[in-house]
Amino acid sequence: MTVPTTQEIAVRVEGMSKYYGTFHALRDINLTVARGEKIVVCGPSGSGKSTMIRCINRLEEHNAGSIMVLGTELNDDVGNIDEIRREVGMVFQHFNLFPHMTVLENCVLAPMLVRKMPRVEAEAMARRYLEKVRIPEQASKYLGQLSGGQQQRVAIARSLCMQPQIMLFDEPTSALDPEMISEVLDVMVTLASEGMTMICVTHEMGFARRVADRVIFMDAGEIVEEAPPEIFFTSAKSERTQLFLAQVLGH
Amino acid sequence: MEMVVVAPPASGKLEDLKRRFFATPLQAVVSLLSLSVIVFLVWKLLNWAVFSAVFDASGGADACHAASGACWSVIAARWRIIFFGLYPYEEQWRSALACVTVVAMTVLSCIPAFWTGRRIALVWGLGAAVFYVLMKGGLLGLSFVGEEMWGGLALTLFIFVTTCLIGFPLAICLALLRRSELPWISRTTGLIIDGVRSLPLISILFTFAIVLPFALPQWLQGDKLYRVILGSALFFSAYQAEIVRGGMQGVPRGQEEAAMALGLSYWHRISRILLPQAMRNALPATINQFVISFKETSLVVIVGFFEILASGNAAYGTGEWRFAYVEVYAFIALIYFVFVFSLSRYGAFLERRMSVGER
Repeated sequence: MTVPTTQEIAVRVEGMSKYYGTFHALRDINLTVARGEKIVVCGPSGSGKSTMIRCINRLEEHNAGSIMVLGTELNDDVGNIDEIRREVGMVFQHFNLFPHMTVLENCVLAPMLVRKMPRVEAEAMARRYLEKVRIPEQASKYLGQLSGGQQQRVAIARSLCMQPQIMLFDEPTSALDPEMISEVLDVMVTLASEGMTMICVTHEMGFARRVADRVIFMDAGEIVEEAPPEIFFTSAKSERTQLFLAQVLGH
Repeated sequence: MEMVVVAPPASGKLEDLKRRFFATPLQAVVSLLSLSVIVFLVWKLLNWAVFSAVFDASGGADACHAASGACWSVIAARWRIIFFGLYPYEEQWRSALACVTVVAMTVLSCIPAFWTGRRIALVWGLGAAVFYVLMKGGLLGLSFVGEEMWGGLALTLFIFVTTCLIGFPLAICLALLRRSELPWISRTTGLIIDGVRSLPLISILFTFAIVLPFALPQWLQGDKLYRVILGSALFFSAYQAEIVRGGMQGVPRGQEEAAMALGLSYWHRISRILLPQAMRNALPATINQFVISFKETSLVVIVGFFEILASGNAAYGTGEWRFAYVEVYAFIALIYFVFVFSLSRYGAFLERRMSVGER
């Protein structure tokens, strides 16, 4: 594997650790993600995969080691945190859309407040992204009128409206009814094909096979295995990975 | 055992009444008895309030002594005291106009079209200025009337509105400080809130009106009225802060995380995401607090202000009308009812409006 230059590095995590009180949630995480790379993170629940990606935009604070995002060090400097959050989008398991606003208002809020974009411009852009996630007709609706799959696609559009360079996905399909999973994955596949840098925590192994450049397996707060999907799914080195894959792919 | 024959669902109001109130003989007896009690009471009330009542003030108090019903002429004769207290007779139109201003201001700010920062600020800034100039005078050719002369409905409205106007933002500040991540800030705020809540309002009013002047330098004291308003605003804010905090706890953690992930600053997260949802959750309790505060304005009488209830006492307090206190209190109750009922209906309107986003 060639070592990417600083310019090409989107995220570099070195020796990162995280504690909840005395519980060691993340142990010595090392991860480098190049621009345009798609990473899928999997592992049993409680393995720290969500916590890890939440550290990348400082929804969780790491206690040791360093995180560099797009060349900016993530530390207590609020300016740095704001800068990184502007460039890193995130999609949550439970969508976390703002229920007191319409779909369109959800999408234009951050561009207008954070990027100081005029409303007309922001709305035009929001409509473009809503079209991209295939729900342009829902713009003036409130969330209660939307299905889970539609809500998650709105959430993706909302993140994209900030025109981020990196997208984090935290189990984006885990809260969805089975028939709605593919409509969300389709949007993610399109996004990947356009060259977005993506770090996805997901149990969708089909998506991992199809899209990921690298699959990362985590267990008990550690990165256990890291490999391209074709190798990961056929010849995983660690026993823990093999056991997990047997459980996930078993049926 | 007897077969129970289930009657087919009856149609029509009469059938419905029969089924509800006259299903068994015992039920019929109870229904008839209750009905006759109600009819009797309503008849007595109407007889007192309308049929045998005296409305015309021209006969004076003597006409009332002759009649068996209510003596509404006391209202006709003394309404100016109830509405305006000790305010100079010749200038009472100013007090009336000031009341209208407050009501208009409140109504305007209840209309969704005025819910932008600039418009609300304009309505309230302008309204407050008009109210103050009208009441106090001293310029524009209006004669000067000191705060100690203010009274009646105008004073009640003034105290209520300013209490809310100062207390509400203060409550939000306290609620935000209480959820601070710095323990010494959140604990100190908690202590202040709990401290104020553990004191009776009367003692707070008394402290601000009577005790504070001994502790403060002359230039900081201000008029007694404004000290009393500050005290009641502090009391309001302590309760309202807990209501707002409760509302905030009802907003899922993910909302703030999503706002953070989008890069929104602290103030934007608070003002656009957290507070709108928290206030929606807190709306019923908030309306409740407003209603309580409106009625608690009557407590300022203990520090010597003639708000509407105390003005009412003065209205029947002279020898001539001393017997007619029931009518005066009934009238004041009606005024309270009009304001409090509008407030709660407005609360219901807001709830309906805000539930739009829910489902």
